[in-house]
This record gives sequence, structure tokens and C-alpha cells, in this order.
Amino acid sequence: MIVVPGRRRARSVEGSGPALIGPDEWRRARVRWGFGGAQVLLLIGLIVIGLGPLVWLAKSAITPTNDTITYPMALFPHGAAWSNLHEAWSNVQVGKYFWNTVVLAIGSWFAQVFVATTAGFALSVLRPAYAKVITALLLTTLFVPAVVLLVPLYVEIVHPPLIHHSFIDSYWAVWLPAGASAFNVVLVARFFDNLPREIFEAARIDGAGPFRLFWSVVLPMSKPILGVVSVFAVLASWKDFLWPLLVLTNPDEQPLSVRLPQIQSQTSLGVFLAALFIASLVPIIGFLIFQRSFLRGTGLGGAIKG
Amino acid sequence: MAAIEFQAVSKVFPDGTRAVDSLDLEIKEDEFMVFVGPSGCGKTTALRMVAGLEEISEGTISIGGRVVNEVQSKDRDVAMVFQNYALYPHMTVAQNLAFGLKLRKFDKAEVRRRVSVAAATLGLEDYLERKPSALSGGQRQRVAMGRAIVREPHAYLMDEPLSNLDAQLRVQVRAEIQKLQRTLGVTTIYVTHDQTEAMTMGDRIAVMRGGTLQQVDAPEQVYRWPVNRFVAGFIGSPAMNMVNARLTRANGDLVASFGQHSLVIGEEVLANRPALRAHEGGEVVLGIRPEDIEDAAFAAEAPGRTLTVVCTLREALGAEVLVHFSAVDDESAALIARVDQLTAARMGEPLQLVVDTSRLHFFEPASGLAIYGEGGRVGAPVAA
Repeated sequence: MIVVPGRRRARSVEGSGPALIGPDEWRRARVRWGFGGAQVLLLIGLIVIGLGPLVWLAKSAITPTNDTITYPMALFPHGAAWSNLHEAWSNVQVGKYFWNTVVLAIGSWFAQVFVATTAGFALSVLRPAYAKVITALLLTTLFVPAVVLLVPLYVEIVHPPLIHHSFIDSYWAVWLPAGASAFNVVLVARFFDNLPREIFEAARIDGAGPFRLFWSVVLPMSKPILGVVSVFAVLASWKDFLWPLLVLTNPDEQPLSVRLPQIQSQTSLGVFLAALFIASLVPIIGFLIFQRSFLRGTGLGGAIKG
Repeated sequence: MAAIEFQAVSKVFPDGTRAVDSLDLEIKEDEFMVFVGPSGCGKTTALRMVAGLEEISEGTISIGGRVVNEVQSKDRDVAMVFQNYALYPHMTVAQNLAFGLKLRKFDKAEVRRRVSVAAATLGLEDYLERKPSALSGGQRQRVAMGRAIVREPHAYLMDEPLSNLDAQLRVQVRAEIQKLQRTLGVTTIYVTHDQTEAMTMGDRIAVMRGGTLQQVDAPEQVYRWPVNRFVAGFIGSPAMNMVNARLTRANGDLVASFGQHSLVIGEEVLANRPALRAHEGGEVVLGIRPEDIEDAAFAAEAPGRTLTVVCTLREALGAEVLVHFSAVDDESAALIARVDQLTAARMGEPLQLVVDTSRLHFFEPASGLAIYGEGGRVGAPVAA
């Protein structure tokens, strides 16, 4: 779609404060065509950079390997190869790794949401006397780079305290560290801080204990922040490479992010690209769905008089 | 329904603020008690201590004879209506009403029955499936009331429930709350800073200031016999006029003189305030309510009751006119008279006003306490 800068655009700019180019200037043909053309070029450039690789991957996933190598930008010169997708799913066992990735993502998501909401609830709503100290400690952990924690975390997973049973080659090795996200806890606690406290007090008088308050009042009011944490959690888990590679040594348990580089050497380019396409499809679709349903925010309309 | 008793209750916040100081008060069964006072007087803190939302620093609070200092909110069997409604935004009106009952494990049929009774009482039947965001301010307020009603608690605690409504709706809901409380006969503590609400709603009102209780009595008693200058000025609108006056005797009568004016103090006043005689020859603070001053054109003139003043401002309210005037040399000390709507008073023009001298108030200049005395109206500053 080509955006034609004209009177309507000039008017819409008027209402939003001082514009770079005023309405009078828009009426001059040179400005209109020059600036309008630059806008169109910028838009096309953004589309090419943003969507281009994804579209190319989708095209190449169903293109024969030879065609992809010989004519990388051509559109199906010798027809489509739908078999790439089937082969990637069954022969290269992308389906299995895909499932592993889903299980890891769900577990990590649950661990993160569980820890973030319960810790945020404790720090923000229940507010024990030492809440400030805990919050300060949590904040300090945000200053430690993740790479620095890699070795101590690995040692802890191999020799967990109290349990004395290594988590290596178990999904718990991915799920449990995922839950320990100070960022999520701080994020959720700040959100809870902004919920109206009268509602908590009303619930307490209505007879709600801490668990009821959490489950029936605070959580349903927190859909926007749960959406944010969920999107972050699932995406981070889906694309995580290093940690699953370290703690999941059994190929049958590894997720797509770990298996794909290894598949590359064992299969043709066409099938590999089909596998990559399948792997990237879920986060894209998931993000589109979740951002619409969660980030819209349920709002607190009518809860209190503002 | 239960009586609520404060015994030497104090609340000290961590920063040292003493929000409530040695509050002694008994609220009888089924009584409608209004806590009234300016912002920061401790009335809301006192209410929140009854609800269990604030810890009690000193003293004890009893509900129905049971000391509740260590009892959790949910076990006190009180229901609270918040200033900001505090409805659960994700629940429908019906769910909002039923929430407290479900938590108390009422069976479903009973929950349904109580919700429908409350909805019918408050006219909410058509909105039961709506979320709070789809309701008007008045409807939300009624849902908040409904949430308290369905519980059938020992006491209602209401924290300025009308302050977010517009003036018209406020008058309407005020009447509804009164009617409801009379019908249900539940002990109620109602917190407000609006003295009109206090006067119209309460069986008794407790006037608070700076964390201390100033006076507790029936509204008309507090209005007629305030214990000190603060209560006198707070109750009544416009506020009571106060001027420094000298008590002298002329022609056998006790006379209060201020500026160029003097008012003869009637026998009725002296009967209620025998201690006034002791102030003869001394300074007192004279209090005159605006409604006790009338345009001379509409009142029987009498010697010793008339003020000749210059109108400095005229505020026509429709049913009456507020005339501002200065009675002493200090022009900043403006007094107000509430006179008949047909008054001829004009700004800058002289005016004759007649004071109802049987309703004069007198206060000690230093302590601000009202002057009554032995055999007079009120002995102690706080009459429970």
C-alpha cells in the first residue's frame, strides 16, 4: 500500500502538536512528493528488513534444495517441494524436538509465573516487615550478568542442596532455574503495588485469607502483567540454546534450539530450512495471539472511583 | 446486632503520629453513629481499627462484648463500605454480592436468596450480570452497600461512602442509607467530613479533632449546645460567627459588647449558662449562628437585639440570602447572616439586622470551652 501524503495527513498532524512539516508546507508539491516519497521508501525498507527473512524462510521451506542454492531469490522456478515439511517433521524428528520444546516452554512458563506472582504477592500485598530487604536483594541480582552465574548454577544443578540428586538430563534442570527470575518478581510486584488496596481490604473483610485473596482477587486483576510475563517466558524458553545444551545431554530430550544446529549437518538444506520454519512458526503465531488477548489489558474499570 | 465499645483506644503510627488519642466511646446496639471531623482528625483510623484494618496501639475495642484487638478482620463479622466502592472489577454485580457469602460457605440456595433480596432492596435486579465498569457511580455505590447487606453482619462500617457522588445523587443515597439502616436495624458507624451528612443521618454524632473526641451527642444537641469553639464552628453551615466581646451590666441587664454593637443577654441564656455571670466585666468569645440573625424587615425589632451594619457581600442562594458584614473595626473578621430571600440588602449599603439573643453562645477566650457552668447544659467536654 502506498501512503499518499495529502490534506488529511496534514490535518491529522495538526492536532498532535508541533509537526516537523506544517500544513502550509505540505501544500507545496516539492515537499509533498519529496517527504512523502521518503516515508514510502522508509516503510518499504522496514517491511523488507522485518518481514523479508521470514517470508524467504517460508518460501525456501517448500523449495527444492537445488533451487534454493542456485536461485535463492527466485519464486519456485521448478515447482514447490511440500515434502520438505513432511520430511522435516517425521524423518528428522522435528516433531519430537518440537514437543520437547513445548514441554520445556510450558514448564518454564509455569515456574516463572508461579514464582513471580507468589513472590510479587508476598512482597507487595502481604508486605512482611522484611519485604524491603528482600526487594533490595532481588534488585541487586539484576546487576549480575547471567553469564557469570552459568557455572555456579550448573554446579547447583549437578549437586542441588538438600536433594543430593543431580538434575542433569531432567527437565527440572531447565524449569527450576527459569523460575528464579528477579526481573519477573520485581515487575509483578510493581504491578501489584498499583492495584487499589481498598479492594484487598474489602476482600479481607469479606472473609478472604491470603490464598483466597491471591487466587480470587489479585490474579484475575493481573491479566495484563501475566500476559507480559508469559510472552517473555515462552519466547525466552523457546530460543534458549546454551543452558539446555549444558544440562540436557540426551538428544532425545533436547529442544529444537539445541537440535537444529546438529540436524544441519545430517540433512539437506531444503529440509533444514523446513525444520527452521516449523520452529519459528509457533513463537510468531503465539505472540500474535497472546499480544492481542493479554496486552489489551482487562483494566480495573469500575473497581474504584478514580 | 452488637454494641461497639472503644476503651482508651489510641493509634500511633510508626512515624510517631498519634492519629487517635485515648478514644472512649460506646456505640449502642442498632445505633447509627456518625464520626465527623476535618481531614486528619482520626475518624477513618478509628473506623479502620474496628474493621481490623489497622492495629490498635493502645486500649481495647469490643464488638458485642468480645474484645477484638487480636481478631482478624474476617472473623469480626463486620461489613465495610469504602469511599472508593472497592468492587471486584473482574466479577459481575451478582458475584460481587455473593463473594463474601461464598467465602463463609453458605449453601448456594441461601446465597441466591440473599443476593436477590439485597438486589431487590437496592434496585439492582437489572444489573446483576453487569461488571462494575458498566455501572454508574450511584449504581456502584449501591453494589458496595449490597455487599455489606447480604452478609447480615453485626455492624456496618461506612467510610465516606457518598463523597464520590454528585450533589443530587448524594442527597438521594443519603436518604436511602438512612432508611435502610432503620429497616435493617444494624449498628452502624458512618465516617464523614460533611457536617450535613452527620446532622441528617446520625442517631448520635461524635465530633473529632486531632485524634481526640470533642463531643458525642444527638445531632441537634451538638448543634445547640456545643462544648467548645471547634465543635461550634464545625457543626452548622455557614459556620458560627465568633467575635470577642466584653460582658458588662447596663440597666440591670447583662450586655455583650463588640465593636460599636451591644446585645442584651436574655434570661433564657443565663438560665442555661449560669457561669456566664462570673465573666461579668471580662472578655468572652461570643458566638452567633448565621441563621439566628435576620434582616430587621422580617423580624420583630427590639432594643438590645439590633445591629446596624454595612453589607460587604451578598450571596443569594435562592431560599435565603447570605449577607456578609463586618461588626468590628477589623474588616477581615467578616460575619455572616442568613436572612430572608426577599431582603433588600445590597453590597455597600447599610442594613439593620436583628439577632435572636436567646440563642447566643459564649466561650472562654483562652481555652475555647463553652461557658455553661453548674446547673447549665453541659458539664463535661465529652458527654457519652
